[in-house]
Amino acid sequence: MSDANSTMNRRGFLGRTAGAAGAGLVLGVPAIARAADGANDKIHVAVVGFGKQGRVLFEALSNIPDVTDKLHFQAVCDIWDYNRKGGMAKVRALQGSLPEGYVDIDEMLAKESGLDAAIVATPDFWHAPHTVKCLEAGLHVYCEKMMSNTIDGAREMVRAAERSGKLCQIGHQRRSNPRYRYTLEQLIRGQEICGQIVNINGQWNRSVAASQDIQFKPSLKIDDPVLRKYGYENMHQFMNWRTYRDLSGGPISDLGAHQIDIFNWFLGTSPKSVFASGGNDFFKEREHFDNVMAIFDYDTPQGGVRAFYQVLTTTSAGGGYYESFMGSEGTVDISERAAFTRIYRESSAPSWDDLVRRGYLRKQAAAPPAGGGGADAIASYESAAPEAYQLPGELNKPPHQPHLENFFAAVRGEEKLNCDARHAFESEAPIYWVNPSALDKTLIHLTDEHLSV
Amino acid sequence: MKDQPDPPKTDPLALTYGAWLLRLWLAVRALQTGIEKYAGTTASEAAVEIDGAPNEYGLTADATEKSYSLDNYHGVPETLMGKFEGEPLMAGWALSVYDKVLGPALIILGLTILLGVLPRTSLFLLGLLYVSLTWGLILINQNDGVAWLAAHMILIVMALRLAPHNRLCLFRKW
Repeated sequence: MSDANSTMNRRGFLGRTAGAAGAGLVLGVPAIARAADGANDKIHVAVVGFGKQGRVLFEALSNIPDVTDKLHFQAVCDIWDYNRKGGMAKVRALQGSLPEGYVDIDEMLAKESGLDAAIVATPDFWHAPHTVKCLEAGLHVYCEKMMSNTIDGAREMVRAAERSGKLCQIGHQRRSNPRYRYTLEQLIRGQEICGQIVNINGQWNRSVAASQDIQFKPSLKIDDPVLRKYGYENMHQFMNWRTYRDLSGGPISDLGAHQIDIFNWFLGTSPKSVFASGGNDFFKEREHFDNVMAIFDYDTPQGGVRAFYQVLTTTSAGGGYYESFMGSEGTVDISERAAFTRIYRESSAPSWDDLVRRGYLRKQAAAPPAGGGGADAIASYESAAPEAYQLPGELNKPPHQPHLENFFAAVRGEEKLNCDARHAFESEAPIYWVNPSALDKTLIHLTDEHLSV
Repeated sequence: MKDQPDPPKTDPLALTYGAWLLRLWLAVRALQTGIEKYAGTTASEAAVEIDGAPNEYGLTADATEKSYSLDNYHGVPETLMGKFEGEPLMAGWALSVYDKVLGPALIILGLTILLGVLPRTSLFLLGLLYVSLTWGLILINQNDGVAWLAAHMILIVMALRLAPHNRLCLFRKW
C-alpha cells in the first residue's frame, strides 16, 4: 500500500517475515504460506500479462464482492498495445481510475512504489523470470500455471519465493474450488466412498476447431524489434506460443497440468514412473504434439495405482474434461464443469442412502438395469450398472475466483495459500517428464533427482 | 368493344390485419431481443446443508435466477466479440460503438414499430440494422445467421408493402 501512515509497507513486511522465511528453509517446508499483517489495508496490485488468461483472471477478480475496497490495480504490464490498453480500460471501468501502463516489467518495478502483489499471466517461458523479479522486488505473486516451461525455471521460482519470504501462489485453481476440496476431504478421505482407489483416468478432449492457430489483425502487429527483445521470432509465435517447444510445454502442460495436479493432490503423493506417447497427427507443422497419452504409476499406502491421462486437440468426442478416481466401491468423476461431474456406487458397495439423507450426496435417477435381454448383451460378462450420484452443491463463482480470493486473503494474513510454490512444484514436477518420455518413447523412473527442488 | 375483366377485389380489413401482424411480430422481435441484451443469471447464494448445518466449503444450491439490469448489458455476444476483433475489416472503434448502440437501437426501433411512429422509416432503419448484422456474420462465416436475417428482411419488405394499410400510426406518411 502506498499510504505513508500504513503499517503495511513493503520494507516493514520484509523485515517482519525474514525470520519466518529462515525457519521455513531450515525445516524444509514452504517458507511463507500466509502474510503477517495488514488485514484491513487495500492491496496494490500489478497485472503482468493482460492477454486471454490475464483477462480471465481479471474478470474473476472483478466478481469479488467489494473488490475495489480491497484491491487497487495500480499498474498493467504487457508488451502488446492491444492487451495493455484494453486491460487498462477494463481496470478503469472497474475502479474508476486508470492504472499506469508499462511494456517492460523492469521499468514497472523500478517506477511503481507501493506495489504489494502481482498477478503474472504471461506465457509460460516468462513465468519464472517475471515471478522471480516480482518476488525479489518485494511483491507477493500469483502466477498462472505451469510454473515454467522448464523444470529448472520452476525450481528457481520455489527458491526465490523461499529466499524472499513472500507469498507465491500458483494458478492451479481447482485447489481452492469448493467442489474439489469437498470431494477430497469429505467424500474420498472422510467417507471413503471409493474404497481402495486402484485406477485414475483423466482427459481433456478438444476439437480441431477449438485448437486452431490464433489469428491477429495485421494493423495491431507488434514491431519486430519488440517481439525479438521479448523472445518471439514473429507475431505468429507471440499469438501461438503454446505450440512452440522453447516457449511452453504444449498441450500436456497447457491443459493436462491442471488435471495431473489433481491426481497427485488427491493421492497425496507423486508418481514413481511415467510412460508417454504423443504425435503430430493433424497439426503436422506444429512443434508440440497434438495428442498425448501418459501412464503414471503410483505407490500409495493403500497399494498401487495407475493413472492414465490423455489430452487431445483433434477430437472433442468422449466426454470433455474430467478426472475419474475409480475404486473398489465407487468412482468419482470430478470436473470444473458440473455437467462432467458424476459419482458412482458399485453394486457390491455398502449403501449410500445414509449419506444422501445427511446431505453428503444427491442421488440421480436410477440407472437402467444391466443385461435386460438385449440382443447384444452377454449377461455373464456384464457388471451391474453402478448407481449415479451428484455432489450436494455447486460453485456459484467463476472457477478462478476462489483461488484468487485465497491468495489475497493470505496476503492479508487471514488464510494459508492453497497452492504455494513448493507444493505446486511437487505436484507439477512429474508433468515435466511427460514430453521427454513421449519424445524418447521410454519409461522414466521418477527419482528425487527428477522431482526435487 | 370487348368487356374489361373486373379488377381483383381488395379486402382492406385483411390487408390491415396483415399489416398489424407483421408490425407486431417485427416489433416484438426487435424489442425483446434488445431487452435480452440486459439479461443475466444470478447463481444461488444458499449454502447447502450437510448433517443439518450449512457446509463450510461454500457449496451452494445449483439454482440460477434470470434477471435484467444495466450491469448485465452485452451488445455483441462475448463469443462473437473475440471473432470480430480478429477481423481485419472490422475497425476496433467501430465494433466498440456498435456494441454500445445495438441493444438500445433494437429497443427504440421495436417501440417505434409497435406504436406506429414513423412506420415506414422505422421499418427501413430496422432493415438497415439487420443488414449491418448480416455483414458482421458474413465476416465470421456464420451462414446460418445470415439466412436467418434474410427471413427477417423478407418480413420487413412485406411490412413496407403493406404500409398503406397499417392503421393507427403517428406520422403515418413517413
